[in-house]
Amino acid sequence: MTKFMLLGLFDNVTTTATVVGEVRDLGIKDSEMEIMSNIPYASKIFGRKTPRQWFLPFALGGMAVGVLIAFFMSYITPRLYPIEVGGQGLTPVPPSAIMYFEFMALFTMLGAFVGFLLQNRFPILVRQMYDERITEGYIGVQVLAPSEAVMEQVVKVFENHHAAVVKREDAAGFPDQGMRHLLFWGGLGAAGLVAVLVPLLLTYDVVRLPWINTMKDTVVVKAQEGPRRAAPPDAVPIQGPVLIAGQPATERLPDTPESRERGAALFSINCAMCHGPAGNGEGVVGLKHFPETPPLDGERAAALSDDAIFLVITNGKNRMPSLAENLSPGDTWDIVNYVRSLGGAPAEAGQ
Amino acid sequence: MLESRADSSPFWQPHDPEDEHLAEQVEHGREEHLLLDPLPPAENNAIVLESMNKTGKAFWMAVLGLGGLTLAFLATWIVQIFSGIGVTGLNRSVMWGPYIANLIYFIGIGHAGTFISAALRLLRMDFKRPIARAAELITLFGLAVAALFPIIHVGRIWKLFYMMPIPNQRELWPNFRSALFWDMTAITTYIIGSTLFMYLALLPDLAMARDHSTGWRRKIYRALALGWRGTEGEWHKMESTSNILSYVIIPVMFSVHTGVSWNLAMSIQPGWHSTVFGPFFVAGALFSGVAAVILVMIVIRKTMRFGYFLREEHFNAMGLFLLIMSFTWIYFYFAEWITNWYGNLPMEKAIQRMLTGDLAPLFYLMLFANIVVPVGTLWSRRVRTSLPAMFVICVFIQIGMYIERVVIVSGFLSRNELPFNWVNYTPHLPEVLITIGTFGFLALMYLLATRVVPIIPLWEVYEGQAMQATRRIGRAILPTRTESH
Ligand code: HEC
Repeated sequence: MTKFMLLGLFDNVTTTATVVGEVRDLGIKDSEMEIMSNIPYASKIFGRKTPRQWFLPFALGGMAVGVLIAFFMSYITPRLYPIEVGGQGLTPVPPSAIMYFEFMALFTMLGAFVGFLLQNRFPILVRQMYDERITEGYIGVQVLAPSEAVMEQVVKVFENHHAAVVKREDAAGFPDQGMRHLLFWGGLGAAGLVAVLVPLLLTYDVVRLPWINTMKDTVVVKAQEGPRRAAPPDAVPIQGPVLIAGQPATERLPDTPESRERGAALFSINCAMCHGPAGNGEGVVGLKHFPETPPLDGERAAALSDDAIFLVITNGKNRMPSLAENLSPGDTWDIVNYVRSLGGAPAEAGQ
Repeated sequence: MLESRADSSPFWQPHDPEDEHLAEQVEHGREEHLLLDPLPPAENNAIVLESMNKTGKAFWMAVLGLGGLTLAFLATWIVQIFSGIGVTGLNRSVMWGPYIANLIYFIGIGHAGTFISAALRLLRMDFKRPIARAAELITLFGLAVAALFPIIHVGRIWKLFYMMPIPNQRELWPNFRSALFWDMTAITTYIIGSTLFMYLALLPDLAMARDHSTGWRRKIYRALALGWRGTEGEWHKMESTSNILSYVIIPVMFSVHTGVSWNLAMSIQPGWHSTVFGPFFVAGALFSGVAAVILVMIVIRKTMRFGYFLREEHFNAMGLFLLIMSFTWIYFYFAEWITNWYGNLPMEKAIQRMLTGDLAPLFYLMLFANIVVPVGTLWSRRVRTSLPAMFVICVFIQIGMYIERVVIVSGFLSRNELPFNWVNYTPHLPEVLITIGTFGFLALMYLLATRVVPIIPLWEVYEGQAMQATRRIGRAILPTRTESH
């Protein structure tokens, strides 16, 4: 016997509720009726039972996935690739709590959403009984009539209640969608899983590839190990003095009275508090906080080359801080010229 | 229109009282309240769909202007990539400049979206019905633009892959004990959650657009609507899913800006190292976010003719919300400063001195924009319901909150524990262009989205209209609200 699919449209809730009751009286089960609307009406408005749903497993399942990921992040990974950070354990509680919270939240939401899609069997990939006026506020009642006789009766009910539209079709035209949506999401999910797993396999060194990584190719040098290696070509170029042995610092400024004058001014600002206004090593700060600040007018200073003084000012030396941030290379040379005038003659001629 | 002879009438044809006095009151109620003023859904659908289809001269001018800003942003970024981060004004002490301030700002304006749609949904606040989607779109695009800034900021972006957990023998492993990583997970969670949340509530409206559009639009909406028909089961499950998402996403929303604040607060930089930073940032984010939503509401109401949906009552409610957020922000800012002041630590004193010195103009402009303007005006209903006034107030708040972030990031960094390192920061052209350009980029994305996404959550409006009615008490007709759950 052919079954029929019927759809009637009604413009208000009260009529729809009456129609539902009368169709039920014709012996049609609630499960063979479907009500469609553009507003979420509670089922009890139509005298029907609230549809069944089960979100708990999806939400809890998602949460469990989140817990696993957070555990992997905060416990497994630090053990596979330990990074020691001063004073912190490998898996400290506070940051782990953040990981657990965020990943649980994320996957609870994803789980609930997947639950929504699967329970509604979205996306619907087969033809459905529908009418576009439903999104204009009409309420649709879809009935699956087991025989032509029942179908006629239902149509009569619809017409008695002034249905705006009555559609009837052979139910065979609306096939069951079966597992198609599962295939859809299964395929998408598998692709997604591969997209996540493949990088992970590489990341956790399960599969090793000759990766393009210039950092790996740079030479490993132990601390303080010599000789100094050439910088990689894409390193930031150094401006100012260079420490490489045998190479001069920046172009020195000629020793002119103007340069010394500028140097004197800069000396009084930057050096006098430690080395003393006259460069004799008796600055106020120097005496109090930096005992044995050397004088710059004696033999000891004379023994230093100009470049050496330049580098002491730029890089600092032991207790003396670097002044590179405060002085440009030109300023520094002015100061060197001034320090030279304090007494100590240059050690090597011409330097 | 279809004729109906059934004795009960659809919700959009309410019965008017015979009595003239009462009829007048009903008429008045309709003018005041969207939910008491139902139109046939077919007409409302048409308003929204037409506004999406319309691309007049003004629209293309706006696309051109905003596209120009976007190009300026991209061009400047390319220049910066080629010549290095040194073209910016960043220096050794102030290594976080406007790029990081922008990141904080754009994530901040993204906060109101979820708050409005999730928290107000759980609290069953009817005024959010026509606003929710416009707010959620700000969240999505705000976060998307914010996510650009770490990339813009790092320089040498061709080495960006060092930040990913890819195999490398140098063990540059992303360290989950780093505050930056907490923030990244929080933002990722938030952006995914917000997208799901928005898409879920969009389904019925996508189905509406599918049913009443033609051509390529119909094809896209058909695919996106997933076959939604509006059956009882579908609605019921959507309700439950939205509930779960709402409950989860609210704490996530708090965690996002708290995470951002911890990027600063977990260091020992004076001015940053503060326990109040988490809630303080969340309050600031909501403050600027609500103001951003109001700005967008004003613009779409004007340009897309949404006078029917966005009424005085909505601006009034959002204005009140803004006023409350302003109080909250003021409270946190004061709490932050008073501990600083009482602690009397030399380094924190240095920061306070700077605020009355170098940064004084910015600082006082911020106080004016964030305190004097909202608190001085928003108490008045006349101001809250006047669109020009609200526009000006919200622009002030955007400026104030932007300055707040710049002062906190680059201002505070310029005075640190080592006076030796004190420097001042002035932005150079690249930062300025990129910042302005990304504002244009955000607006451009939003503008284009308004032509594809039904920006008014129509089904929520219809639901409200079907569930709201008037009740006569004595000589007055008053709105009543029905819960169907
Ligand atoms: C904070 C105090 C301080 C300041 C400021 C300072 N110095 Fe020094 N300087 C020292 C101390 C202490 C030493 C000794 C370092 C050591 O332990 O070898 C020193 C060492 C030197 C030396 C090396 C002397 C030697 O015989 O080894 C030179 C040259 C020098 N300073 C020049 C300068 C100049 C020029 C300036 C200003 C631009 C300056 N310093 C600023 C504290 C200071």
